[in-house]
Amino acid sequence: MSAEESNLLLDEVTGEKVSKNELKRRNKQREKEREKEAKKLASKTADVAAKPAKSENDEASEENLNPNQYFEIRSKSIKKFRETRNPNPYPHKFHVDISIPTFIEKYNHLEPGQHLTDVVRLAGRIHNKRASGSKLRFYDIHGDGVKVQIMAQAQDSEQNFAEIHDLIRRGDIVGVRGCPGKSKKGELSIFPKEVILLSPCLHMLPKEYYGFKDQETRYRQRYLDLIMNNFVREKFDVRAKVIKYVRKFLDDLEFLEVETPMMNMIAGGATAKPFITHHNDLKLDLFMRVAPELFLKMLVVGGLDRVYEIGRQFRNESIDLTHNPEFTTCEFYMAYADMYDLMEMTENMLSGMVKSITGGYKLKYHPQGPDGIEMDIDFTPPFKRVSMIETLEKKLDVKFPPASELHTDETNKFLQEICEKHEVECSPPRTNARLLDKLVGEFIEVDCVSPTFITGHPQMMSPLAKSHRDIPGLCERFELFVATKEVCNAYTELNDPFDQRERFEEQAHQKEQGDDEAQLIDETFCTSLEYGLPPTGGWGMGIDRLTMFLTDSSNIKEVLLFPAMKPIEEKVYVADEIYEVPHK
Amino acid sequence: MNTLENKKSENNNPFRQTKFTRSSNSQKIRNSFSQFSQEELAAKKEIVSIAGRLLRIRNFGNLLFADLADQAGIIQLKVGKNKDFAELGIGDIIGVKGVICKTDKGELSVEVQEFVLLSKCLRSLPDIHYGFNDTEERFRKRYLDFLINAEKKDILVVRHQVIQSIRHWLDQKEFVEIETPILVSEASGAQAKPFVTHHNKLHRDFYLRIATEIPLKKLLVGGFEKVYEIGRIFRNEGIDARHNPEFTTIEIYQTYENAEYMMNLTEELFHYLAAKVLKREEFAFNSHPVNLVQSFRRLAMVDAIKEYAGIDFTQINDLTAALEMAAQHNLKLAKFQKTIGQIILAFFEEYVEKKLIQPTFIYDYPVEVSPLAKSKPENEKIADRFELYIGGLEFANGYSELNDPIEQKKRFAEQARQKALGNEEIASFDKEFIEALEYGMPPAGGLGIGIDRLIMLFTGQNSIKEVIAFPQLRSKEKVSENFE
Repeated sequence: MSAEESNLLLDEVTGEKVSKNELKRRNKQREKEREKEAKKLASKTADVAAKPAKSENDEASEENLNPNQYFEIRSKSIKKFRETRNPNPYPHKFHVDISIPTFIEKYNHLEPGQHLTDVVRLAGRIHNKRASGSKLRFYDIHGDGVKVQIMAQAQDSEQNFAEIHDLIRRGDIVGVRGCPGKSKKGELSIFPKEVILLSPCLHMLPKEYYGFKDQETRYRQRYLDLIMNNFVREKFDVRAKVIKYVRKFLDDLEFLEVETPMMNMIAGGATAKPFITHHNDLKLDLFMRVAPELFLKMLVVGGLDRVYEIGRQFRNESIDLTHNPEFTTCEFYMAYADMYDLMEMTENMLSGMVKSITGGYKLKYHPQGPDGIEMDIDFTPPFKRVSMIETLEKKLDVKFPPASELHTDETNKFLQEICEKHEVECSPPRTNARLLDKLVGEFIEVDCVSPTFITGHPQMMSPLAKSHRDIPGLCERFELFVATKEVCNAYTELNDPFDQRERFEEQAHQKEQGDDEAQLIDETFCTSLEYGLPPTGGWGMGIDRLTMFLTDSSNIKEVLLFPAMKPIEEKVYVADEIYEVPHK
Repeated sequence: MNTLENKKSENNNPFRQTKFTRSSNSQKIRNSFSQFSQEELAAKKEIVSIAGRLLRIRNFGNLLFADLADQAGIIQLKVGKNKDFAELGIGDIIGVKGVICKTDKGELSVEVQEFVLLSKCLRSLPDIHYGFNDTEERFRKRYLDFLINAEKKDILVVRHQVIQSIRHWLDQKEFVEIETPILVSEASGAQAKPFVTHHNKLHRDFYLRIATEIPLKKLLVGGFEKVYEIGRIFRNEGIDARHNPEFTTIEIYQTYENAEYMMNLTEELFHYLAAKVLKREEFAFNSHPVNLVQSFRRLAMVDAIKEYAGIDFTQINDLTAALEMAAQHNLKLAKFQKTIGQIILAFFEEYVEKKLIQPTFIYDYPVEVSPLAKSKPENEKIADRFELYIGGLEFANGYSELNDPIEQKKRFAEQARQKALGNEEIASFDKEFIEALEYGMPPAGGLGIGIDRLIMLFTGQNSIKEVIAFPQLRSKEKVSENFE
C-alpha cells in the first residue's frame, strides 16, 4: 500500500494507523532525537575516527558502546589510516629480537627502579591500557601465554607521543622498541622509545572482568578463547607433548611412521559408520577411513616389520562429550610380538609419558567438570589386569557357558536374561557381542579408574584378533581403560587367512541381524594374508581421550582446536556496509 | 591348499605361532660380523635369533642355501640336511636360531640350528629373477612390491626420515605442531575443487580441507606465534603422475615475519635436508641433475619472463597491451584470465616454469592470483609472495600473510567475480576468517611445501605413486579371486 492511496498510514514504529500529517510529525521528532543521540555519541567518541582523541574521557567512553557501535567506529577510524597510511595500520613486518618469555627470564632480576640502556624489540597483543596524565601510559602486552608491562613515558618517546598512544586500543597487536627496566613498584616493564601499531583489533575484546566463558562461543571463536583464556593454550601444549612422546617412544624402538589412505573403497579395520564422498574424475564413491588397521597390516606383509601411523579417523556418528566426527589415533604394528609384549609396552609408554609431562604418576580427573566428582588416577606400573568373563561371573554371581559356546543361541538367551535381571539396556540388534559389551560396560569398565587392562574377549567381539592360544572361543586381545573409558585396544593379530574369512562371514551374519556397524569383508586384505603375515602385535590408542585425562578436560571439544559444531543461523555482519564491498 | 587343510586338521596349524623373540637382524649381523674371516667366525660361535621371509632357496642335496629378508635387508641362511626345512616354500616366514658363519665363497651367513615356521605363504611370490615390474600390479598389491623390490620399501624409509627431520628442525626453532580439522564447512585457503561428504546426525555437508592455511592463521590471531601442521590435504581432481586425490603438505607460519624471511627459511630447510639428512648435494630429478646445497637463485616473475621468453612486462601497463601480447603468442586465455596479472602468470606458466631446473625462487606475484597474500608496500598490484621451482616443478609457496580484513574482503569478492566468469578453482568467501582478522592478526610469513613432491625429489622418483604407500588407483573390474 502506498502513501498516496490511503488516508491512514501505518506508523511502523508503534504499529498504529495515523494520519499523513501525524506520521510526518512523528517521524520528524524521531529524526531529531536520532540526531541528538548521534551527536552525543559523536562528541564522546566519533572524533577518534577523524583525528586522534584529545582527552582520556573520549576513549574511556568507548567502553560504554555496544560491540556493534564500537566495531563501526573503530573500523571507520582504521579505514582512514589505511588510506592516509599515516601510519599504515597493517605494516609488513616488525623485527622482533626477543620473545616475551625470554624478556621476562632475562630481565626479571632487575631491582625496582633500575633501568637498562639495552634496546630490545618485542611484540604482542595489548590486553590492558591505563593512562596517568597525558605523559604516561601503561599497557599489558601478551605473547606466548605470558605478559609484561609497557610503561610508556613521553620523555622516552622518539615519536609523537599523543598521536601513537591515542591510536592504540585494547586488543591491538603492537611492536615495541625500548629499554628493559623495573618500575619503582618493582614491576618488570619495557620503556618504549617507539610503539608501532602492527594490526588493530576492530572488535571490542570481551571485558577482562567478565571473561569469555560461554562454551559454545569459545569453540566457535577459538582464537578469542586463546586470547582471553590462558588455560586453553596450556591444554594444547600438553596435547603436543603427548603426540611428541608417542612418536619418540616408537621411533626409539625403530618403528617407521607411515601414512596410509584416508579415502578407501571399503571402510575396514573397525566397527563404525563411515562418511561417504565422491571422486568426480574417477566417478567413484569413496569411504573416509574408520581405522588404518588393514593397510598397516598389509605393510607388515610387505616386510615393514614395525610401522605406526598417527592420524585422523572419521566416524559418522553423533557429537557428544567424548565424540567428534574426526579424531586422532595412533596405531602401531610390530612383527613377532604378541599382546603380552604390547601390554608391557603400553605400561612403559603411558607411565613414562604421564611422568614426563606432569612430573609424577598420579592425576586428578573430573569427568563431569570441575564441580563434579573427582577421580584419582594412578599410572604407576604395572597396571591392573582383569579377565572379562571371570570378573563378570564374580560380579554377577553366575556361571557363564564355556568360552567355546559364547556365540550360540543358548548363550544369547542366557545373556538376555542377565541383562533383564540387572536392568541393563541394549538397543537392538541384541547380538551376543552387543549384549556382552553392555554387561562389561556396566559391571567392569565402571571400576576401571586407574589404568586397567581387560583381557579375555570372546572371539565374536573381535573379528581381527587371533584366537586365544589356550582357551577356544576367546581371543588374544586387551583393552586399556582409564577413568572408565577405553584408551587402548590391542591384539595378537589374526594372520590365518582361513580364520579371517570365517570371521568376516560371521560379521556379515551380524550385519544381517541388523548390526550396521559390523565389518565388511575386505578381499584385498584377505588376499594379502594369503602371502603370509608374520605373527604380529597390533595396538591402537585414542590421542584425544588420553589428552582429556592429562588436561583434566571433561569434554573432547576442549582438546580439539576446532571441534565440529552444529550449523548456526547466518550472522549479520555489520562490516558489510562499512566495507562497501559487494557480495551476495 | 588341500595339503594345508590337512595340516590344520593334523593340529599342525602354520598360523598358530604368536610370537618370536629376535636377538638381531640382517643389518646388525652385517655391521658387526662382516669384517671377520671364516675361521674367526668359526671360533666365535656367535649365536643369533632372527626372523624374516624366505625369498630364495637353493637346494644342493645335503646342503641348502636360502635368503632371509627382514625390514633391514637380506641375510643368507645355510642349512645342513634337514627334511623339515626342505619342505618350506618361498615366501614362508620363519624364525631361525643359528650360528654366524661365512661360506667357502666368503658370504656372511647364519648356519641354521633350529627354525620355526611363523606364517605360511599360500600363494606363489613373483619370481625374484623376473622381478615384479608391472606398474598396475605393483600398486594393486603394494605389499608384494615392497617384498620383491626392496628399493621401493626404502622410499618409505626416506619419507619417514625426511618428515621426522623436518619436525625435529622446526621443534628446535620452537614451532608448535598443530592439528586442524579435515572436515570443514568452507573449503578455503587454496584454489581447488573439494570433496564433499555428509554428516548424517548433524544433517549437514562437510568439505574435506584443501589447505590448512585458514585455521592456522586463526591460531596466529589467537596468540600462537610459530605453528606448523603436517597433514593430509584432499583435492577432487584427476589422477596422474603428479597428482593423488589425497596428499601431504606442511604449512608453516611465523608471526612478525614476511615473505623474504620465509624464503630464507625454505632455503635453509632444503640445505639442511640435503646435507644433513640425505647427506648428498646432487639429486637427479625429472631427468636433470639438481644441486640442492648451493644457494638458490632468486628472480622476480617479470624478470624471469623477460629472461626466458624475451617479453618485458614492465613496459606493459594496460590490459589492452597485455591482451595483444597474449594474442601475438597464441596464448589462450579463459574469460576470468583477462587481467594483466593473470596474463603475466599465463606467460610464466607457458614459457618459464619448466625451464627452472636448478632451485629458483620466483618472487613478486601478481596480486590477482594471490588472494591471501599481502601486497608489496610500494606496489599494491604485486603480492609479496614467492614460489620455489626445482626441475621445472613447484616445490614451495610462501608469502607475507594478508592481515587486513578490509583488503581480504575485497580479494574474496574479486575471487567471487572470477568464479562467475567460470574459474572453478577459486578461494571461497570465508566470513569466519574475515571476522577473525577483524580481531587483529599480527604480520606474519607463511610457507607451504608439498611433502610428496619433496620425497620424489629426494628419492629420484618421477611419479607421486612411488612415494605414497597406497596410491589411489582407477577402479578395475572386480576380478574375483577364487579362493577355494
